[in-house]
Amino acid sequence: MSTTSTPSSTTPPSTLQRWIDRAIGAGLFGGYLGALLSSVENLGYARDEGFYFHAARTYGKWFQLLISDRHEALRRSVIDSYWQENHEHPSLMKSLFALSQRFFEGVLFEERGTAYRFPALVLAALTVLLLFVWGRRAYGRAGGIVAALAFACMPRVFYNSHLACFDLPITAFWVFVVFAYQRSFETRKLRWGLCAGVLYGLALATKHNSWAIPPALCAHVLVQHVLGLRRPWKRNWYRIHIPSALVFMALLSPLLFYGLWPWIWTNTVERLREYVAFHMQHVFYNMEFLGRTYFKPPFPRSYAWLMTLATVPAATLWLAGLGALATLRSYWSERARRRATPESHQDRPPDPTAWPPIDRGARDGAPSLWLLCMLASYSFWWSTSTPIFGGTKHWMPAYPFLALFAGAGFALLQRALARWLERAWAGRFVRYRPLAEAALGASLLSAPLLMTWHSHPWGLSFYTPLVGGAPGAATLGLNRTFWGYTTGALQSDINELAGPDARVYIHDTAMDSFKMLQRDGRLRGDLKPWTTVSGSALALYHHEQHMSRVEHMIWVDYGTVAPVRVGGLDGVPVVYLYQRPQ
Amino acid sequence: MRRGRELARARGGALLLLLSIGIGLLELVGQLHFSHAAPRLADWEALRPTVERLAQDHPLIIVAPHWAEPNARLAFGDELMPLEHVARADDSGFEQVLQISILGQSAPELRGWQRESELRVGRFQLERWRNPAAEKVLYDFLAHVEPPALDVALEDAVGEHSSPCSFGPARVSNGDLFGHPTFPSPRFSCSSSDWQFVGRTVIEDQQYLPRRCIWAHPPGRGALRLHFDAVPIGRKIRGHGGTPWFFERERRGADILLEVRVGTEVVGTYRHADREGWKPFEFSTERFAGQVLPVEFRVWARSASQREFCFQADTR
Repeated sequence: MSTTSTPSSTTPPSTLQRWIDRAIGAGLFGGYLGALLSSVENLGYARDEGFYFHAARTYGKWFQLLISDRHEALRRSVIDSYWQENHEHPSLMKSLFALSQRFFEGVLFEERGTAYRFPALVLAALTVLLLFVWGRRAYGRAGGIVAALAFACMPRVFYNSHLACFDLPITAFWVFVVFAYQRSFETRKLRWGLCAGVLYGLALATKHNSWAIPPALCAHVLVQHVLGLRRPWKRNWYRIHIPSALVFMALLSPLLFYGLWPWIWTNTVERLREYVAFHMQHVFYNMEFLGRTYFKPPFPRSYAWLMTLATVPAATLWLAGLGALATLRSYWSERARRRATPESHQDRPPDPTAWPPIDRGARDGAPSLWLLCMLASYSFWWSTSTPIFGGTKHWMPAYPFLALFAGAGFALLQRALARWLERAWAGRFVRYRPLAEAALGASLLSAPLLMTWHSHPWGLSFYTPLVGGAPGAATLGLNRTFWGYTTGALQSDINELAGPDARVYIHDTAMDSFKMLQRDGRLRGDLKPWTTVSGSALALYHHEQHMSRVEHMIWVDYGTVAPVRVGGLDGVPVVYLYQRPQ
Repeated sequence: MRRGRELARARGGALLLLLSIGIGLLELVGQLHFSHAAPRLADWEALRPTVERLAQDHPLIIVAPHWAEPNARLAFGDELMPLEHVARADDSGFEQVLQISILGQSAPELRGWQRESELRVGRFQLERWRNPAAEKVLYDFLAHVEPPALDVALEDAVGEHSSPCSFGPARVSNGDLFGHPTFPSPRFSCSSSDWQFVGRTVIEDQQYLPRRCIWAHPPGRGALRLHFDAVPIGRKIRGHGGTPWFFERERRGADILLEVRVGTEVVGTYRHADREGWKPFEFSTERFAGQVLPVEFRVWARSASQREFCFQADTR
């Protein structure tokens, strides 16, 4: 956790320091990827993963056709027949899942499911790496490490990082785009603008959350412009600096989006309209919140905020709050100083006496960008008509920025610690500063780390101590699970209890998810996934309040209310297995 | 002056440090505490002998908080927690309750009851409660959904002709989340339509809690008649009616009527509208008290579409 001099030095780092940073970055990337890979095997396949496996398989066949018979593959009817699969979502991640399976199954991974999941795992690890890089730039090494770990050690992020879905990937692309934009804004170099354009094209091709990125960036341009205005305003207001990133995002990204999604190569306008309409008029699934199941508007406005408080470690939220306040204060100090002197603030070094010191990040407008990105991610839940069925994953793109603020908060504490060490006992303990910083970091990160590790493989059932953990959340009536992925937690029980060729009622697990568990050898191949309770020999039940009726069906059909196995977190039942009495 | 300001800053910084470390460590302790606060399945299973000893008179077993009940069902089995108890209509007919509570919770339905004894076993609190207003059930219609106690028929619109529903084994079926509750076997089958039957099943109420009841879907035309032959009559007939809440919550069907006759006299009619949920009814039978008489339930609706009516009743 130690830094060399000031945590946010504006002088270029030495070669040694650069190598240290590279080693830390590689460690964070490799460590997170390793943690994900080592824990992927006992996490069942989520409902949506099943649909995306199926789509990836279909797209994969088209890629093979493209290689073997390009003319045939590019025929309109052929494109449509392959790419109509799951066309409510763009193609990038599903294509990557397909390619990963094609090249890595049997080479890197024995399990096909892991091969499908691999691109999302890599993107998650890259996000952790980028957060270190960005935090390092803005607040120093320790701030960067804390930002990266704060993100990695959010239990819900850790859960979503495993999945062959789009929520973590769009979170990753969101950060990538915004970082490139920030660099473009800061350096005015075209290559960063181009980079932002390419990355935004990939974000568009990942998930529709990407639509919220340009408004956040445009707002940032305006905010920075307004905040930077100096007298005479009338003469300066029109001198707005538009970074090249926005230009490339407007011109290049749509082309990339179009090119990556064969489904919209024909009937483009009609299909795009259908795509937008699907998400603007999405069906309302059920979600329990504070003991009540919501299934249609109005949805509670407090949902996103309370769920954030209940699922993101309090230490991270505290650090982020500190970081936000500190950067705000830095900004106002800097602004006051700028107003006091007419010369350009860009050319002057920060005021070393200011407390907290003026950070490079604050001077470059990064915190306002982070804040705007967070607001953009949460903004949908200010409306009572926005569905809440996705739990926390739908505003997950806000979390990397929350983590960056946490890094800023840690940098603030780091300075306070340095100041205290210099003053206390006549500075006799200054030499222990690295140790003290490490202890400080450990005191703030050990709870998030423990929570994240403990939450696996029950990521969606996990809640922080702020609401009393999983038992407290169950008492409050917060959703215990969804997506049917917890079948993976009972896989050995199913294998043990099921007779030969037994039919297993799969409840909320998608058929393709169940079959992937069989394909990977995690469930016995002779078992028959069954979609009704009647006729089954074993029945799974994944608890959600509105789904209790399914458990009642099992009781009447099987003639018992006693499950033979119950899986759950911290004594809270999440998934139950029933066996038809002989 | 400047030195004083710096000293204040240093003190403020130290305070902030202490506060931050405190928050971090508090969360760590909180995580360790809450992750071990609730008993595990093994604890529930180890509790079984104690519960068997305390529940020899077969009291209703209630678990608080309710979310822990699946652990109890697994550990104690159907013998101690039968479907009739788990999916009860309400608690009014039970004289004795054994409450098993964890995490300092208590079941809200026991308000007004009297605690008779308590026992602490590890992380469990076991308490015997007595219902001071318990009403003795003379006849539970749910327990007699079979011949010869019951015969079922479809009546035409004017009530002149009726066609009997045959009792026997039938194919068990159930939908998934969006489907119908389990259609049990055996049952009284009234037509070739799967749903036109009378039998015992379980529906969910407005809290998504289970309610065991008699499936009595009104027919497209006329009425469904359930004739219980020899019923000991008390002061009242009390019951509940409803349809599966998952569908009822979206309000889309005609009102359902349930007429109750003792002998040949109508003692009351219960009307069920969508979004009312699992709703009680009570009709006085004071004038017939002490007699054994036939009781009839007639169910009809203006439109039968999606009227998955289910009711429960008893005499007291």
